[in-house]
Amino acid sequence: MSSVTHNEIEYIKKDLPPFFSKLAYGLTAVGLILVIFAYLTDPTRSAFNNIILLMFVTSIGLGSLFLVTIEYISGAVWSTPFRRIAETLASVLLIVPVLAIPIYLNLHEVYHWTHLNVVANDEILSHKSPYLNQSFFTIRIIGYFVIWILFYFLITRNSQKQDISKDQSLTKKNIKLSAIFIPFFAITVTFSAIDWMMSLEPHWFSTIYGVYYFAGTFLSSLALVTFLVVYLHENGMFVKGIVTDHYYSFGALLYGFINFWAYIAFSQFMLIWYANLPEETFWFINRWEGSWLIFTIIFIFVHFIVPFFALVSQPAKTNGKRLKFMTIWLLVAHFMDLYFLVIPTFSPNGVSLGWIELGFFLLSFGIVFLVFSIKSKSINLIPLGDPKLKRGIDFRL
Amino acid sequence: MSEKLYSYTALFNSPNEIIHAAKVVAEKGYTKFDVNTPYPVHGMDDAMKLPPSKLGFVTLFAGLGGIVLALLMMGWMMGIDYPVVIGGKPFFPLPAFIPITFEITVLLATLTTVAALLFIFFKLPNNKHPLHDTNYMKNVSSDKYGIYIEAVDPIFNENEVKELFKNLHAFVVEPIYFDKEEVNFKPAIAEPKLLAFLVGVAIFVSVSAYLHLNKLLYIVPFSWMDKQEKVIAQSTSDLFENGSGMLKPVEGTVARGFIPYAFKEKPEEAGKLLVNPIIPNKENLALGKNKFNIYCSPCHGYLAEGDSRLRGQFPNPPSLHSEKVRSWSDGRIYHVIVDGQNVMPSYISQLSREERWAVINYIRVLQRSLNAKESDL
Amino acid sequence: MSSIDFTRELSVVEGKPPLRVIDEIISKPLDSKPDKKFYIALSITLTMLGIGVVGLGLTFFYGIGLWGNNNPVGWGFDIVNFVFWIGIGHAGTLISAILFLFRQKWRTGIARFAEGMTIFAVMTAAIFPLFHTGRPWVAAVYLLPYPNQHSLWVNFTSPLLWDVFAVSTYFAVSFVFWYIGLIPDFATLRDRTTNGIKKIIYSLTSLGWRHSNRHWQNYELTYLILAGFATPLVLSVHTIVSFDFAVSILPGWHTTIFPPYFVAGAVFSGFAMVQNVLIFIRKIFNYEHIITLDTLERMNKIILLTGMMVGYAYSMEFFIAWYSGVQPEFFAFMNRAFGDYYWAYWIMFSCNVFIPQLFWFKKIRRSIPFMFVIAVLVNVGMWFERFVITVTSLSKDYLPSSWAYYKPTITDASLLIGSFGLFFTLVLLFTKSLPVVSISEVKAVVDGSQPSHGDH
Repeated sequence: MSSVTHNEIEYIKKDLPPFFSKLAYGLTAVGLILVIFAYLTDPTRSAFNNIILLMFVTSIGLGSLFLVTIEYISGAVWSTPFRRIAETLASVLLIVPVLAIPIYLNLHEVYHWTHLNVVANDEILSHKSPYLNQSFFTIRIIGYFVIWILFYFLITRNSQKQDISKDQSLTKKNIKLSAIFIPFFAITVTFSAIDWMMSLEPHWFSTIYGVYYFAGTFLSSLALVTFLVVYLHENGMFVKGIVTDHYYSFGALLYGFINFWAYIAFSQFMLIWYANLPEETFWFINRWEGSWLIFTIIFIFVHFIVPFFALVSQPAKTNGKRLKFMTIWLLVAHFMDLYFLVIPTFSPNGVSLGWIELGFFLLSFGIVFLVFSIKSKSINLIPLGDPKLKRGIDFRL
Repeated sequence: MSEKLYSYTALFNSPNEIIHAAKVVAEKGYTKFDVNTPYPVHGMDDAMKLPPSKLGFVTLFAGLGGIVLALLMMGWMMGIDYPVVIGGKPFFPLPAFIPITFEITVLLATLTTVAALLFIFFKLPNNKHPLHDTNYMKNVSSDKYGIYIEAVDPIFNENEVKELFKNLHAFVVEPIYFDKEEVNFKPAIAEPKLLAFLVGVAIFVSVSAYLHLNKLLYIVPFSWMDKQEKVIAQSTSDLFENGSGMLKPVEGTVARGFIPYAFKEKPEEAGKLLVNPIIPNKENLALGKNKFNIYCSPCHGYLAEGDSRLRGQFPNPPSLHSEKVRSWSDGRIYHVIVDGQNVMPSYISQLSREERWAVINYIRVLQRSLNAKESDL
Repeated sequence: MSSIDFTRELSVVEGKPPLRVIDEIISKPLDSKPDKKFYIALSITLTMLGIGVVGLGLTFFYGIGLWGNNNPVGWGFDIVNFVFWIGIGHAGTLISAILFLFRQKWRTGIARFAEGMTIFAVMTAAIFPLFHTGRPWVAAVYLLPYPNQHSLWVNFTSPLLWDVFAVSTYFAVSFVFWYIGLIPDFATLRDRTTNGIKKIIYSLTSLGWRHSNRHWQNYELTYLILAGFATPLVLSVHTIVSFDFAVSILPGWHTTIFPPYFVAGAVFSGFAMVQNVLIFIRKIFNYEHIITLDTLERMNKIILLTGMMVGYAYSMEFFIAWYSGVQPEFFAFMNRAFGDYYWAYWIMFSCNVFIPQLFWFKKIRRSIPFMFVIAVLVNVGMWFERFVITVTSLSKDYLPSSWAYYKPTITDASLLIGSFGLFFTLVLLFTKSLPVVSISEVKAVVDGSQPSHGDH
């Protein structure tokens, strides 16, 4: 009745399809050239766009690391075969500090609170100056990078060691590491969002801001992991035995977090809209006037309404084609989300879209794909030594 | 037990066996068969070749209906039927409607789904199914796995089915017959018991609604100052013999500050006996003019010519410049003011005594202005 | 502790009992007469309920002037208790719906019980807003949009009305969810019982369920759909409760993190309450194999996680209150921590943030006495959280001339005691009248109850 081969894991390491790496190199090259020209022509605008790039790549890297850790903590089984994808993606965290350098060099162009004469004449800003000042800011961002990269190395190293040693105690170690990572993650993701993006409008404040950025982070990294899983599986580069039940789990989780993002975004908007306090509302008014209104409405559709209906049904969540399309869609939506958070400070009078924005858009996708394609050459795409792997492949709803 | 066969049943001991059995039965081409297990067994739907459930559509439409219904309801109530500005928000404040829209959507979608599931998809409640109270049912609801093929299946053959189950290693194979009443069982909506039940529910609901609306809603459990010790007008009292809370005043009682009018319905006597106590001067003529313009002029006109501003709505009042009125004494006019005349009511409550005489003096001024005496020239 | 073998799935139910034994264990409390312990427990809860009924009766008769609410503290124990009990309910839906969606099999042993607690907690919670309307016998008229001669409608832009819809929807959906889960169990009981009256009752309540797989297919889909709806619903309920506070402009109330923060807090306190009650249930009814120590440990992990979320929200609130540079906002928070009610604030903070950190230690996570005490303290802390939010912000609002100190009265206290009495009375009656563990679900997760993969 039962086949014997089923008890063994059939996995042969293959290279990524050449198309994938070509695309990654192409996107990065075109993006990089455009970005360099952008910095030569309009450094301020470029620095603002650079923030989007930075936060987008951070989202992918940090979100993937978070996906890895929650798998360990929750003891999830269905996602074990795909953990290595998330681990590989988390390696973009190594690039993140590099992406921050151009912003740091243009700090004065971007952050209002770095101008000491402005701060001195502004009661609120001088009140905030113990937090919002350049030296503390520098310490903080270096702290975030150190924490992220440290945990990235600790967790992925154990996982890769396991490929050969098949040592179960490594799983246990990683569970502990993951549990410790979670509080650090919560604090760093919140304050990096506050520092890089919320402080662009130094007068504005919202307690939910960190959660909002987290929702986007989780959604975008999950989307990219899902995309890669479906893509690699369809190209036969993945372990045998992945079935629609796995797809469905990804689809359902994506769907859940589409709604979670909308919930957080709506909560923030609703409370500010309802209470109507001028110190809060101006942030939304900036995004609700002129061409920004059109952008915002499109944004709501792109980030919530379209994905909501596209993934509502059970067949849609298990359909590989639909999943691939919608995950890329959601990545674009996350990029739009960051654009929505950052750019209105730069051009409050209207949407600024041009070749500069395009360059950063291409570069942010390019970097992520490129890092994945380079990194994936040297490692197995599934955690071969993970004790939960077999159960993960056999997972049925 | 009648002799009519409902189905052949087989019991198995393990989930693997039942999955295998279901597969075999489905592959043989039986369609009217079912599997009974104490809990849902994974992979059974595929084994039985069941088509995917259609229930999701019910949920989808109920949910969309909920969204539309909620938004229309709130939009109409708050924006159209009785628009009120609340907190400076527009009449259709969409963000503020979203929470309730969501709740109504969830409520309708879930309740509709469950109702459809139980009553349409499952056709429950049904306690008269032939499987009930059989050995088979007792086993599958505890720890055994059963499969049965109905006798109405187009390719049903008693011996073949028995043989099939035996070959599948069922440990019990037995037929199930219809009970006598089950043979004639119709899902009777018009069953007297059900109707009686519905009537009972209807009576209960209406009585309790009536009691709530008419009794309970008007119970006043704390009565701060509604109830007081004093006797309220029109209420009863034990103090007096006739039980009334108010007695009629003694005959001839006069209210304070009130002087009774002695010439009621005696105009001629009033004309003779009443004398104007007021000597005209600037102040009381001004008073008379003021009061005349307020109370008299609407009908008689500002110049007392009977050119009413209310012309047409009442019979036109007479001019006060007629020979008759000019020849009346002050007392006679006073009587008309106090007692009224024809359509004109009494002005006793509008004009004080002094004011009445002042008005009369002013009327005299008006009369003299049209019919001046020679001495005035 | 030997190390866990990750290659094998942990058994949800220990010891692989035969299915018939599961029937017996779970239906035993329904078939046997309650013992002395049950009556002692019931008399305690009924006494508490009695105290509450007296307080409620007095309130009904004399009005809410008997409460400690004053001007400006127009919301006191009533809203504190309401939010507290609604929060308790959230764990039930979380266990039954969200963990179901995440395919966490360990939920099966505790889901039914937690769902029951949801329903009872919502019932308990609903008392408070109804009585706070002042005239509870006409509350329906205030709360529902019905066509009337004044052609007035309720105010749909008011978060208090959203509460009406949210809580009633929540109750209805939780109840349906619960009942749907009970149907197969009623059928099993129906086929087990030998008592004629019970047989009729179970036949009626099981609706003639036949364990048919053609039904199971739709049944499971319905369960999935209900779980899918219950999940956002449970978020929405406490979100809307938080809107009651957060849409205002009162310092300390108007902060955008309130919705997720309230939800996390609700789950936090709910899990603590469920864990507390389960500790007794598994002991009294010998359910140690079904409600295992592993399950309790997992619940403790969730308590730790949500406790940290709550701690995150406290800290963010405080940080942003300072960061915003809005003076009244920062004052409100300083007043919470160091003002008149500093004791309440620090009870809240230590019970909710510091004490659950003990769950980092595996020994404590698996020690029944420790986890019991910690969960009790969590509930104390969460009750005080609502107290701190409600009372401190109101008692010192924008206008210093109207500041006032809120003191609960004896009636307030009796209502609080009574609410616990009502809740636990219902829980006790539940344990004796319905299967507190889902028979069919537990059977489905016993080792070997599902066909082995292999023939596909």
